[in-house]
Amino acid sequence: MMEVDGSNTSMNRAPPPPPQSSSLRSSRSKVLYQFKQQKLPACKPVLTPTSVITVFMLMGFVFIPIGFVTLRASRDAIEIVDRYDVECIPEEYRTNKLSYITDSSISKNCTRYLKVQKHMKAPIFIYYQLDNYYQNHRRYVKSRSDQQLLHGREYSHTSACEPEESSNDGLPIVPCGLIAWSMFNDTFTFAQLKVSRNNIAWKSDREHKFGKDVYPFNFQNGSLVGGAKLDPKVPLSDQEDFIVWMRAAALLSFRKLYGRIEEDLEPGSVVVVNLFNNYNTYSFSGQKKLILSTSSWLGGRNDFLGITYIVVGASSIVISIIFILLHLKNPRPYGDNSWNKKSLSS
Amino acid sequence: MKRFVYINDDEASKELCCDNRISNTKYNLWNFFPKNLLEQFSRFMNQYFLLIACLQLWSLITPVNPASTWGPLIFIFAVSASKEAWDDYHRYLSDKKANEREVWIVKHGIKKHIQAQDIQVGNIVWLRENDEVPCDLVLLGTSDPQGVCYVETAALDGETDLKTRVIPSACVGIDLELLHKMKGVIECPIPDKDIRRFDANMRLFPPFIDNDVCSLTIKNTLLQSCYLRNTEWACGVSVYTGNQTKLGMCRGVAEPKLTAMDAMIDKLTGAIFVFQIVVVLVLGVAGNVWKDTEARKQWYVQYPEEAPWYELLVIPLRFELLCSIMIPISIKVSLDLVKGLYAKFIEWDVEMVDQETGTASYAANTAISEDLGQVEYILTDKTGTLTDNKMIFRRCCIGGIFYGNENGDALKDTQLLDAITSGSTDVIRFLTVMAICNTVIPVRSKAGEIIYKAQSQDEDALVAAAAKLHMVFVGKNANRLELMFNGVMIRYEVLEILEFTSDRKRMSVVVRDCQNGKIILLSKGADESILPSACAGQQTRTIAEAVEHYAQLGLRTLCLAWRELEEDEYLEWSVKFKEASSVLVDREWRIAEVCQRLEHDLYILGVTAIEDRLQDGVPETIETLRKAGINFWMLTGDKQNTAIQIALSCNFISPEPKGQLLLIDGKSEEDVSRSLERVLLTMRTTTSEPKDVAFVVDGWALEIALKHHRKDFVELAILSRTAICCRVTPSQKAQLVEILKSCDYRTLAIGDGGNDVRMIQQADIGVGISGREGLQAARAADYSIGRFRFLKRLILVHGRYSYNRTAFLSQYSFYKSLLICFIQIFFSFISGVSGTSLFNSVSLMAYNVFYTSVPVLVSVIDKDLSETTVMQHPQILFYCQAGRLLNPSTFAGWFGRSLFHAIVVFVITIHAYAYEKSEMEELGMVALSGCIWLQAFVVAQETNSFTVLQHLSIWGNLVGFYVINFLFSAIPSSGMYTIMFRLCSQPSYWITMFLIVGAGMGPIFALKYYRYTYRPSKINILQQAERMGGPILTLGNIETQPRTIIEKDVSPISIMSTQPKNRSPVYEPLLSESPNAIRRSFGPGTPFEFFQSQSRLSSSSGYTRNCKDN
Repeated sequence: MMEVDGSNTSMNRAPPPPPQSSSLRSSRSKVLYQFKQQKLPACKPVLTPTSVITVFMLMGFVFIPIGFVTLRASRDAIEIVDRYDVECIPEEYRTNKLSYITDSSISKNCTRYLKVQKHMKAPIFIYYQLDNYYQNHRRYVKSRSDQQLLHGREYSHTSACEPEESSNDGLPIVPCGLIAWSMFNDTFTFAQLKVSRNNIAWKSDREHKFGKDVYPFNFQNGSLVGGAKLDPKVPLSDQEDFIVWMRAAALLSFRKLYGRIEEDLEPGSVVVVNLFNNYNTYSFSGQKKLILSTSSWLGGRNDFLGITYIVVGASSIVISIIFILLHLKNPRPYGDNSWNKKSLSS
Repeated sequence: MKRFVYINDDEASKELCCDNRISNTKYNLWNFFPKNLLEQFSRFMNQYFLLIACLQLWSLITPVNPASTWGPLIFIFAVSASKEAWDDYHRYLSDKKANEREVWIVKHGIKKHIQAQDIQVGNIVWLRENDEVPCDLVLLGTSDPQGVCYVETAALDGETDLKTRVIPSACVGIDLELLHKMKGVIECPIPDKDIRRFDANMRLFPPFIDNDVCSLTIKNTLLQSCYLRNTEWACGVSVYTGNQTKLGMCRGVAEPKLTAMDAMIDKLTGAIFVFQIVVVLVLGVAGNVWKDTEARKQWYVQYPEEAPWYELLVIPLRFELLCSIMIPISIKVSLDLVKGLYAKFIEWDVEMVDQETGTASYAANTAISEDLGQVEYILTDKTGTLTDNKMIFRRCCIGGIFYGNENGDALKDTQLLDAITSGSTDVIRFLTVMAICNTVIPVRSKAGEIIYKAQSQDEDALVAAAAKLHMVFVGKNANRLELMFNGVMIRYEVLEILEFTSDRKRMSVVVRDCQNGKIILLSKGADESILPSACAGQQTRTIAEAVEHYAQLGLRTLCLAWRELEEDEYLEWSVKFKEASSVLVDREWRIAEVCQRLEHDLYILGVTAIEDRLQDGVPETIETLRKAGINFWMLTGDKQNTAIQIALSCNFISPEPKGQLLLIDGKSEEDVSRSLERVLLTMRTTTSEPKDVAFVVDGWALEIALKHHRKDFVELAILSRTAICCRVTPSQKAQLVEILKSCDYRTLAIGDGGNDVRMIQQADIGVGISGREGLQAARAADYSIGRFRFLKRLILVHGRYSYNRTAFLSQYSFYKSLLICFIQIFFSFISGVSGTSLFNSVSLMAYNVFYTSVPVLVSVIDKDLSETTVMQHPQILFYCQAGRLLNPSTFAGWFGRSLFHAIVVFVITIHAYAYEKSEMEELGMVALSGCIWLQAFVVAQETNSFTVLQHLSIWGNLVGFYVINFLFSAIPSSGMYTIMFRLCSQPSYWITMFLIVGAGMGPIFALKYYRYTYRPSKINILQQAERMGGPILTLGNIETQPRTIIEKDVSPISIMSTQPKNRSPVYEPLLSESPNAIRRSFGPGTPFEFFQSQSRLSSSSGYTRNCKDN
């Protein structure tokens, strides 16, 4: 498939001597000379039918197994998905969900029973998922101040945080910005299960992005209350739910880690979740889901990679078969252009 | 307008207030930044980027940090500014060196040593031997008692011979001491750039004897940058100084030439710009609609109900900024870089070094290499370009007797030698004219030999031949000439020299024979200018026949003539001549008119025939380039027959029956128009036949044709692949170039002499041959090469590669920019059309400048076909000529590819990194790495030949990408802290990359293979043939043929050698037989014959140049 060109040209015509004195032809000056004369030895790949068909065959035979392995890994991860945003609204409010969620006098308590179908090995990750939620909206994603999160109130260049930069009385808000203001505030409690709520945020975030001595200040004091409130006594670096929320998602449906169940779940058992359905997704017809998921080496359950691999692999085998047929039907020695001449001139 | 220079008068010259400071610099310290910035911002692209960068300062709309545009913009500006500064600094240094050179001048009557820059107009400057002249001087005195001095004008006009300069008649005999005190006034024209003319007058003030007005010509001047030679000292008064000298005025900033490719890239950029505006408008409207409907429901976005007036503009402007990357900021810099390298490759090429003189090729214009690959017409000079310009005296005809016909060398013709020994008057006169009717200076070398310094090669050949025939021109002392004939010294005194001009086409000298005091007029010149002035009664028919005969042999002819003058006649005429020489206006024309009065009733002595040999490899070069679909026009000042003969011998035209010559001639308008019409008619009918039709036109007919039948002539120019234009003037040459250019053809003009300069400057590409006629053409040219045959390599190898490489580079630049831009656009659909950038600022900034620019830069050493293959199949150049590798349709292919790749990257990324992985920074980096991986494979797939450098840059760049990102991931304060480490430790990241590459490249690769195998272009076929080794033999009938011919052609083809021995002097139809043994047909089995017809088609319609490459 490859052919080294250097020997090819020198065969046809002896290369003229380099202008430097020939005694000084160290390999470096020789390479320089070859470069200047554009005669560096070169590999010239040729697209012969055999090589191309082999490449596609190989690609197929590599991709399909990878696809199956990936699919298998994805299937190994078991997940329980429970959409609760509709169910957790009492019947009488079903027609007017918005008034339910905005009325703070109504208790938002709700209990969900999740049935375990398959054995789930610890650690089991607890995620909440929001759908149709534009965390990537420009107005939203820009509305934060990384410096303030790290340094606290003394950092005052927080104009990016508009419209949640400061309260009406001019006091700065810490943490400022729309992302912080709109923090998710549903809570989940799992009866009889060992649930860890620590180490759910990235270590690097806790240590380098959120200040250890930065405490929430003047947060959620405005007339418009967005989402969760933060304990003003706990530094931001320890507010892991907040740190998790501050990592904006790029997609409309996203999951955020809530905690970990640190014991195995047997098939047939039922996980009882007490939750407070506080967060308003009803105004924009978003969805809220609770997810319990184990993790494989590839991460959570996601069949996409596996299926795509199989599809790509299969199609490359199809392509190689098409090329084989084309080649058998129309075998043609290379460099022969007799047939082509006709087709072009006609 | 006139200038009055007062010699040696400091007060009077003050008002001219012009010192001799030379300044070629474009900038100075203070204005560098404003001026350079202004210059850079005069380009549309830069204005656009500045606008984008300024918009980015508005934080409400900027998607990313403004640094992502400012960074590259400043970088790119800094690069071009420092290049300019570097060039300018070097100019400044060389100016400084020239300015601070020490010279001797006379001030207040005392000789002083000052710096050259302090010379004032009117100062008297002293020079010693081998000094460089610091400014334009009028000569006042020299060490020579006769007032003669010699200068070398190589820096001015490139002519290496010495020229004589004489002091004005008024200054003759002035004492050395008195020179210091000399006062006077010189009336001269305001500074101009004509280095061949200086029409001025001088009047010396008392006490100097000659109070009359004395005329000055260029012969009385020493121009800046010349060198004083063979003269002990000389002094002169400065008339033009500093940048006002003739040389200074000649320097001009050449108009930058724009290649066809640049124009196409600009067009494509414009198209992308329009596309971008459309995208921005559509997304802007969509964004505003979404905002007013959907965004109001998203309570967490907190869109205010009331918005300022500009709110409507914000989203479109955001998209404008997001999409600004669509036009790659780096393309200009990349192109400049690679173009510089193309030029270097030309200069480095050892196969384009003239072994004889050791001159390498030189690319003065580094920006137009691609155009070399798109040449459609080559306009070539004959003498010195196709031929060697090494003149050898071969034959002569004296008094009706032909000498040298038997053995082809008159010097060995015993008949002639006998005639000389017997002392035949005609022969001796003939030899005398040969020896002294010229401007040759004999110089005695140290060994005692006589070396002739001649301005024209013809004169050199004649004087040298005369010396061999015992008429030796031994010395020239001022006006005294010494001839040695058979051991007898003969002296002549030169009275006047009636110089050669291209209008007069003859020169004469008036000499007094010191032996008998007779005054004689000796003339030599072209037959049509000498024969009409023959004396009544002389039979000029034999002479005309001789001229005709020699011309048919391809020899250059000169008629020599003689007349004895009466003393009175001479004196009377001499006064008129002086008068004419001292007028300031139209001097040349007046002199010509006066000369005409003397040059009549000439006795024609005979005809000389000088051979000018063809350069090595000219026929093959022309043949190869014609096969490559390039049309040749020969523009020469020579005679029609000589031109045709040369044309035949160098494959320019084919002999009958394959070729056909059509003559356009006539002296009157009607004749010319009739003949033009007839030729046109024949042309139209024969275009379908595979016949080589060429037209021949002479200068006179051309002038009429251009004046009255321009339209017809243009049509003829389009129809004809070959043309011979003889007897054309420099301006007509330029006019012809202009005509072809106006028909939208890419023209290349090649020449070697000063008469080709205008055509070289006019053409799209000017190529100069650094030959014997001086460097004038080479200086004016974009490329200068040593021999004509290098043209083949210049076009087929360098031009073609440059075109291919730039085609790839520019389209790839757009591809990569579009790719990332499409991803941003797709992302905007899932981010509420709000203009969020998926990528962070660092990525966007580095993407165009670092991540993607290196591998593509290395594509400048990519070769699709080896040089040998291209040389064997020059037809392949058609792809470049027709612009098949860069046109809207190929560009559409790249556009589609980037769209496809953007879809692949985007879809795979958002699905593979869904849900819990959908963190913004991570997702952005995954998509970016996907792009980078695809880039690497796209470059790899488009590379035809992998050298070490390519591997290094393609894969090294990929490694570099990760290194840079690891670095940024290690900085805690950066937005992407730990992101890259996190990603690279996930198996899913690598699996995703692998999938992106497979899904992105698979279809592209399959398509490429399919086209390569089942719809191959000619390039593909040759690639297959070249690389598979074996089947090249099926194309081999081209390959094997030239091999044998090259061997044949190793010995220089002399026109003489191809001539049958005993040719009758009678006129024969020119093309009745083939005098050219080496002529070969295009070969009936040439597989590429369709190229010929196709390129012909394209040249006649100009339409197929954009036809799609299949």
